[in-house]
Amino acid sequence: MAKMGLLITPEICIGCRSCQVACKAWNQLPGDRTVNLGSCENPPDLTPHLYNKIHYVEVPSEKTEGRWLFVNQRCMHCGDAGCMKICPAPGALYRTKEGAVGIDKEKCIGCKLCAVACPFNIPRYDEQGKIAKCHLCYDRIANNLTPACAKTCPTGAIKFGDRDALIGDAQKAGYQKLYGQEDLDGLGALYAFKDPPKIYGMEEKPAIPETVVFWNKVLKPLSYIGLGGVVAASLLHYVAFGPKKEKEEEGRKDG
Amino acid sequence: MDDMIRKANGFEILNHWALALSCILLSITGFAFLFQMKEVGSFFGGFPSMRLIHNWGGVVFSVSLLLSMFNWLKESITFDADDMGWIKVAGGYLSRKVKVPPMGKLNTGQKFFYLAILFAGIAISASGFVIWLLPANKQWVLVSHLIHNISFIVIILAIPVHMYLGTIANPGTLRIMISGTVPYWWAKKKHPKWVQDVETRKAGLKST
Repeated sequence: MAKMGLLITPEICIGCRSCQVACKAWNQLPGDRTVNLGSCENPPDLTPHLYNKIHYVEVPSEKTEGRWLFVNQRCMHCGDAGCMKICPAPGALYRTKEGAVGIDKEKCIGCKLCAVACPFNIPRYDEQGKIAKCHLCYDRIANNLTPACAKTCPTGAIKFGDRDALIGDAQKAGYQKLYGQEDLDGLGALYAFKDPPKIYGMEEKPAIPETVVFWNKVLKPLSYIGLGGVVAASLLHYVAFGPKKEKEEEGRKDG
Repeated sequence: MDDMIRKANGFEILNHWALALSCILLSITGFAFLFQMKEVGSFFGGFPSMRLIHNWGGVVFSVSLLLSMFNWLKESITFDADDMGWIKVAGGYLSRKVKVPPMGKLNTGQKFFYLAILFAGIAISASGFVIWLLPANKQWVLVSHLIHNISFIVIILAIPVHMYLGTIANPGTLRIMISGTVPYWWAKKKHPKWVQDVETRKAGLKST
């Protein structure tokens, strides 16, 4: 199956936040007590009951009094996903056939390591200590429905479709290179940015923490190669030198 | 029947068994987490319960490790010229012809082994507790995850060698872990300076 994805275009987002509402409605997520931080951004951060949200950025503009950027934040469904690398529980985080990063709360052991390996600070934990994040509405996709956020978006700022086709569409619309097109082996959520990612509150070069990469590439193989090595060396030593037997007679002679 | 001499008291034997069993349990469950071994997970009643076993096994291990300092630390940080000699002949393990210098209660290799396990053990315990109890502090968890895995490699390299040397490589050693006593002649061969110490002390007690 072709890789499916989301194309997010902040330029045509009007900040209505119906994506947040639709996501909550479909996934039956309860409301969160929130705080007013003097911005229309609400709630201020992702929560275990909020899988996507609109991040409000106000930047100076020469033409108008100011410029508002609305950036949809969510799990990016990385092609090379840090959360999946570090997860110790088989099946808790898995690759869906559409190429998204799915979650299975039944299999999650609540170790919270995925949160530290995520380049985008996305995973949250629910009351049971289990992972909570966007799963690209795998249940809707399975029934030929569009993910709730994209379905409800009134302006087409969130579009769901074949990832390659979305990239083609964006290029036709004048976006030469999308954010997430190549990063981390290709993100499932692509962003059409007019300005450098930093302005939208995104990392220029998102990456899995180096310690996690080192652990995965070096320490993991070293653990079983090392174990096999010392066991083999011990056996070899036994064959070559044999046991260090002490003889009673000798001992008495020496003593 | 050989004359026996006590090399380990009851506390040492219990302490060693607690360390050994928890360490093996933690290594098996640790490997299962590292490589997502489903069968091992099922054996421990699924991954969520295996996590509990791993965490509480870690409590047993770290407490035992702290207690072990009363048993073996002092001896393990005391080195003399004979220890240098031991290193030069590699403890007599790479050639049967060399003469191994007389050893105290622990030989040089045992001292190094204990220090390695002590340091790696403290590192793996402390980092494990951070991952378990302070998940919100991401920088700490990242560093701890790295330390946890590096010290695991130290332990997984050291333990099999320790098990080999304590069993088939040196017949007669394992009984220290079971009864705590060894034949007098055996101790005199392997740990002459220690036997001498014990004798001197005994003589001292008798004379007073």
